[in-house]
Amino acid sequence: MEKIISIENLNYTYPESKKPAIKDLSLDIYKNEWLSIVGKNGSGKSTLTKLIDGLIEASSGTITIAGQVINEENIWDARKRIGIIFQNPDHQFVGATVEDDVAFGLENQGMPREDMIKEVDRALALVKMSDFKTRDPQSLSGGQKQRVAIAGVLATKPQIIIMDESTSMLDPDGRKTVLDLVQQLRKQQDLTIISITHDIEETELSQRIVVLNDGQIVKDGKPVDIYDLGSNLRKYGLEEPFSSKLMSIIRVTEKLPEGYLSEEELKQQLWKLHSNM
Amino acid sequence: MDKIILGRYLPGDSIIYRLDPRGKFLLTFYFVGIVFLANNVASYAFLLAFVLFAVYLSKINFGFFIKGLRPIFWLILFTVALQLFFTPSNHPLWHWGILTFSKEGMVIAGYIFIRFVLIIFISTLLTLTTTPIEISDSIESILKPLKKINFPVTQVALMLSIALRFVPLLVDETTKIMDAQRARGVDFGEGVLIKRIKSFVPILIPLFVSSFSIAYDLAIAMESRGYKDGEGRSKYRVLSWDKRDNLMVLFMAVVTIILLFLRSY
Ligand SMILES: Nc1ncnc2c1ncn2[C@@H]1O[C@H](COP(=O)(O)OP(=O)(O)OP(=O)(O)O)[C@@H](O)[C@H]1O
Ligand SMILES: [Mg+2]
Repeated sequence: MEKIISIENLNYTYPESKKPAIKDLSLDIYKNEWLSIVGKNGSGKSTLTKLIDGLIEASSGTITIAGQVINEENIWDARKRIGIIFQNPDHQFVGATVEDDVAFGLENQGMPREDMIKEVDRALALVKMSDFKTRDPQSLSGGQKQRVAIAGVLATKPQIIIMDESTSMLDPDGRKTVLDLVQQLRKQQDLTIISITHDIEETELSQRIVVLNDGQIVKDGKPVDIYDLGSNLRKYGLEEPFSSKLMSIIRVTEKLPEGYLSEEELKQQLWKLHSNM
Repeated sequence: MDKIILGRYLPGDSIIYRLDPRGKFLLTFYFVGIVFLANNVASYAFLLAFVLFAVYLSKINFGFFIKGLRPIFWLILFTVALQLFFTPSNHPLWHWGILTFSKEGMVIAGYIFIRFVLIIFISTLLTLTTTPIEISDSIESILKPLKKINFPVTQVALMLSIALRFVPLLVDETTKIMDAQRARGVDFGEGVLIKRIKSFVPILIPLFVSSFSIAYDLAIAMESRGYKDGEGRSKYRVLSWDKRDNLMVLFMAVVTIILLFLRSY
């Protein structure tokens, strides 16, 4: 597997605080991977995304993106590869209308106007917001705002998409649509997805979960291994998966195989138990 | 906040909406200038007819324009009263100490009043039919020559448009803070002026704090989307100058000529 982001011994402390927000953190992220970052409030997730995009400068440590160690000169090239959807949709709109906002990233690249018009339409269609093209972003609902922010990132066709709790305001259908879309793009266009989330279902889509606590990685593994933590997940700001909760109840009286079972595996086990009765 | 009409955009569609914002912007200023050329009943009546015609063309409910006068109602009343009672005259109708009431005073007060109405109506017309972003685009386009002397025109225009965009967000923020302070027992509506002003301090401080954090987040978001310094950017929105905009300029020229004629008449 090819490394797309490689972080080594990263440290960061906000100028106005004493406690470091990121402590000696090292992490490799592979191409085409879907990585979930979880952790409780204030554990440093948003800080880490800002560091990866060079929006804040690390106190020490290196970040390598697509084989290039990031420095002040090449950061703008690196940024073109990365699209970030930030946590608060209200604080990231630049454009006066939805279409203007989606076009902002393209304008920055100096894309000719005719191409921009096509790209904006394409991106808005992907998130099903074409009907809101001329609306003021401020007049949209939280979920609609998040969709516009997602469209703004998709328009620029980045290779790496970082979503900082970007689906937290979407309804279940909207969340599914967006996550399915991201999954599809990842597969078709070889994208790398980093999703910061408190939503267990969102982590189920990922191949790997990294748990952050106090600016450090405390767990790094496949979803099944992380779900194995069961009720300990709550310590890291994550809801226990439904099947895991169910298993701990069943285990009180019945015998189940060790470790985390996916919903499907659990179903099989339940049928087995049922037929044994 | 809903009461302030001046400076607000009202979505709609009519010939006035479709005019090029640069033309509308410049001609509005031009009109405010020529209002001061009017000097008799005929010229004021003519300008009033022109403004009413423009209002009619905009297809906007006349009530919005009346509302536009409201915020400066006291200023108008004060200025008109000043003219009414302090215009010196050789044939006063009524005289008391320094106060003089005369026919000349009445005429001048009337003119001043019409002048206020003309200026407020025409600028309300501009803002009701032109989005803030169109206005900032116009300013950018008009100021473009200043680029030669290294004036950061694009940056200033972007700054202006973002500032305009954040007005509603800050209004929301203010309402939220006020509600939060009310829930803690702060009373905004009562007491003498000083007390009322004092009660706004607990609003201003959180408002400053949240404006800074919004500005910080926005700057980060803009940079992550590749905004560097405004150079080498292309433009998604373009303004287009059409035949009807030429016609508007021509129309304004005719209005000026008629005005000059009526003035000397
Ligand atoms: N602009 C800032 N200035 C100072 N300290 C900050 C700033 N932003 C975050 N911090 C601090 O840095 C730490 C990590 O914050 P960060 O925003 O990265 O957390 P997070 O994991 O994204 O949390 P959440 O789940 O709430 O989004 C916190 O202790 C926070 O208080
Ligand atoms: Mg965060």
